Amino acid sequence: MSSAQAGNEADYRQLLSELSTVVNRYLVSRFGGYEFTEDCVQEVLIAVHEARHTYDPRKQFRPWLFAIVRHKTIDAIRRQKARENQQAQHCLAEEPSVSDASLYAEVSGGRLIAALSPAHREAITLTKILGYTAAEAASRLEISESAMKVRIHRAIARLRKLMEKEAL
Amino acid sequence: MLIDRLADDLQPVRSVGPRLGRGTLLWLTLSAVYVAVMTALIGPLRPGAMEQLVTHPRFLAECLAGVLAIAVLARVGFRSAIPGALSRRALAIAAGLTLLWLLNYVVGFVSPALEPSMLGKRPHCYLETLVLGLPPALAAVYWQHKLFPLRPLLSAALIGLAAGLLPALYMQIACMYAPGHILMWHILPGVLVACLAPLALVPGLLRRG
Repeated sequence: MSSAQAGNEADYRQLLSELSTVVNRYLVSRFGGYEFTEDCVQEVLIAVHEARHTYDPRKQFRPWLFAIVRHKTIDAIRRQKARENQQAQHCLAEEPSVSDASLYAEVSGGRLIAALSPAHREAITLTKILGYTAAEAASRLEISESAMKVRIHRAIARLRKLMEKEAL
Repeated sequence: MLIDRLADDLQPVRSVGPRLGRGTLLWLTLSAVYVAVMTALIGPLRPGAMEQLVTHPRFLAECLAGVLAIAVLARVGFRSAIPGALSRRALAIAAGLTLLWLLNYVVGFVSPALEPSMLGKRPHCYLETLVLGLPPALAAVYWQHKLFPLRPLLSAALIGLAAGLLPALYMQIACMYAPGHILMWHILPGVLVACLAPLALVPGLLRRG
């Protein structure tokens, strides 16, 4: 990074390539391999580029990098809009009989997602991974929409805490 | 490809890390000078206030506690604008020192550092505190913006608190001394600056949609 701050393009290219792999592995192991991890890696690389002047070469690189990764990840999860997700559509239309348990088992690969309480895990999986709207997810779990929004908010806060705890 | 685009865009940059301490000190010094000069221009200081710093050690300790709390808050405020540079411990120390300083005034209700008096009362001390705290706060938020605050609202609030408490502390010398008056008309407007400072980010947030 110090070399990149000095303007060495080759070193910088290598650093970004390595970071891309490291961050991708980090996200996949914690959240599973979903579409948002790719977007997240790109956002992290852009943030690293924009924030490179704030890295202090006298200090360790890792805390600086992972502060950015944690922030961008939570940001990406929060901004993850309900969309016409193929997997959700597939589950709704083609396999209406699929059980929630098997659905979560299929998609909840990451260890941070797995560390959430069942209620929080369901909320995050349905809305942020499978792409249901809060209303759809609420109706699926037979709770009110506002209760679902509270669960999502708390689940994201819990994820942030888990990531910060990991960094200590 | 993104990596190629970013690498092509690479320009040499100077790391702000080693200069952050000096920058914080410069901001603190300039802000303190600005507050002192403006306060003197608006009205006279409380008669005998400087002598009281020498003759009343507890009053001096109260002022020094304020200086220390503000300096630590400023340091924490600027460090919060650098990824991974602010630890929870540093934040807790800043909060602890600030509360310790303010606790002096609460204790002052029972045992004040100086005999409470209306001597030197400034008619609009609350407004002066608020107005004098805003320019240093805005300058600091602008500087933070040049760094990379991951939680810009928190960073702006922290530095806003440091900027607002600076004139609040100076009013200890410039205005009348009475713990109730200080908490209500000096400290509270100072804390209000911390609430107003994040508003400086609103135009930028709106632009980003």
